[in-house]
Amino acid sequence: MKQGAPHTVDNEQTSDSPLRGLSVPVSGTADANQAASTVFDIKDLSVFYGDFRAVRDVTLTIRQLEVTAFIGPSGCGKTTVLRCLNRMNDFIESARIEGSVLYHDVDLYDPAVNATEVRRRIGMVFQKPNPFPKSIYDNVAYGPRLLGTRSKSELDGIVEESLRGAALWAEVKDRLKQSGTGLSGGQQQRLCIARAIAVQPEVILMDEPCSALDPIATARIEDLMTEIKQKYTIVIVTHNMQQAARVSDRTAFFTTEINLQGDRRTGRLVEFDETRKIFSMPSDERTEAYVTGRFG
Amino acid sequence: MTELRKSFHTELAEVHAELMRVGAQVIEAIPRATRILLDMDLEGADYMVQGDDEIDARCIAVEEHCYRILALQAPVASDLRAVITALKMTAELERSGDLTVNICKAARRIYGHEMNPKLRGIIAKMSEQAQQLFANAMEAYDESDPAKAAALDDMDNFLDALQRQFIQVIFESHAAGSIDLQVAVQLGVVARFYERIGDHAVNIGEKVRFLVSGWMPEHVGAVRHRMRQEATPMAGIPIPTQADRNHDS
Repeated sequence: MKQGAPHTVDNEQTSDSPLRGLSVPVSGTADANQAASTVFDIKDLSVFYGDFRAVRDVTLTIRQLEVTAFIGPSGCGKTTVLRCLNRMNDFIESARIEGSVLYHDVDLYDPAVNATEVRRRIGMVFQKPNPFPKSIYDNVAYGPRLLGTRSKSELDGIVEESLRGAALWAEVKDRLKQSGTGLSGGQQQRLCIARAIAVQPEVILMDEPCSALDPIATARIEDLMTEIKQKYTIVIVTHNMQQAARVSDRTAFFTTEINLQGDRRTGRLVEFDETRKIFSMPSDERTEAYVTGRFG
Repeated sequence: MTELRKSFHTELAEVHAELMRVGAQVIEAIPRATRILLDMDLEGADYMVQGDDEIDARCIAVEEHCYRILALQAPVASDLRAVITALKMTAELERSGDLTVNICKAARRIYGHEMNPKLRGIIAKMSEQAQQLFANAMEAYDESDPAKAAALDDMDNFLDALQRQFIQVIFESHAAGSIDLQVAVQLGVVARFYERIGDHAVNIGEKVRFLVSGWMPEHVGAVRHRMRQEATPMAGIPIPTQADRNHDS
């Protein structure tokens, strides 16, 4: 499977998936006409850890081939909501949701939905670069191999395409057999992005992807985001408001409020709008206070 | 609520306060220039010309402060609008200061010529109106009051009417032989200075409305341009290529 070649998800690897058969555009197939179509439709989402409601009242839509940023103070629920988008919260036993998360009109939390398939289509890049203790090549080839790609030439093609897509190819093409953990922090993060795009997801979730990087590595990743949004829908959680302003098309601002359970705080969505609006003329005064540093 | 960027917001407050001080200087300069003109006070005129250098220097200092804030603080939302407003206001204040100096320079040129009471009366009225307009504009800025800012337009209309009336009286005075042509031309220009001060006050009002709500004035020229674009019969019709022409023939 070469990147950029049109294909649908209705293939061998996904034949048992309840997501099977949807005509969902995946990487490389979306054209400009679909640029504004909805990928995620989140309605009245609340996330609980046990009895504690961590975040409530989240209603927003994430559009195709756009970068959507989640900003807000610590504990406002932005990462929690991000992790709902590819069911990463499933790994926390006590976590459950109320409300709905529709992915191309399919309820992601429908018991029939295959969570592994969800995570193939909706990849994730974490705060700390986490390459596997394997070679650069094997890091990228890991996902495709797991999904059944065996042919050496096909894997070579995927690895090159993915590393090029993550703007890392030129720097590592002569040392693909060396360990991924030997790269610099910024290179490791781009390797993780290459690894994420190797399985041709539609969406890439990024959880503070630059917080462990220096300004130059950060600028590279930001540039990369602007490039890869031609092919992928990106949702990014960031503590850096200027980063949200620079890279995103739309921004969701979350905040925290004291709830009745002692001093624990529940996060909630305050405002969701075009990024240029959020940073020039936000509608809600809480957003204004946060972006101008009058609240913390 | 904890204030997170205290020193930055203190800086913004300093810029605001400094602009208010420069504004006060301009407000004071308007009646002073008028007095100099009516009294033919040449010494006072020299004093005013020098005094304007101070307004210029303070405006440049505010401008530089704003550039520094933009470079170092990356302001957004209302903070960004505050810096942009301040930057644009320096131009209005500096130019208004220049206009009061121009009034004083006109006093030098018509030195020795008497003006009749009718002319003197309208000059005093124009001066009062221009000063009031400017004071209201600075008040609107100080209080971030968009209603007060929007009201400046009507006040400016009255100043414009005074200017037209003044020009008429210049014609009549010249025809009656009470002022010669050189003085008539100088007075016509003086009327224009007051009228321009009023326009700068209105501009400050527009900046205040932008500061508060992000509102942008729709300038008459821009509207005309858009209407012309929309009215053009060629709009939306592709330019024929050579192939089309060959086909037609």
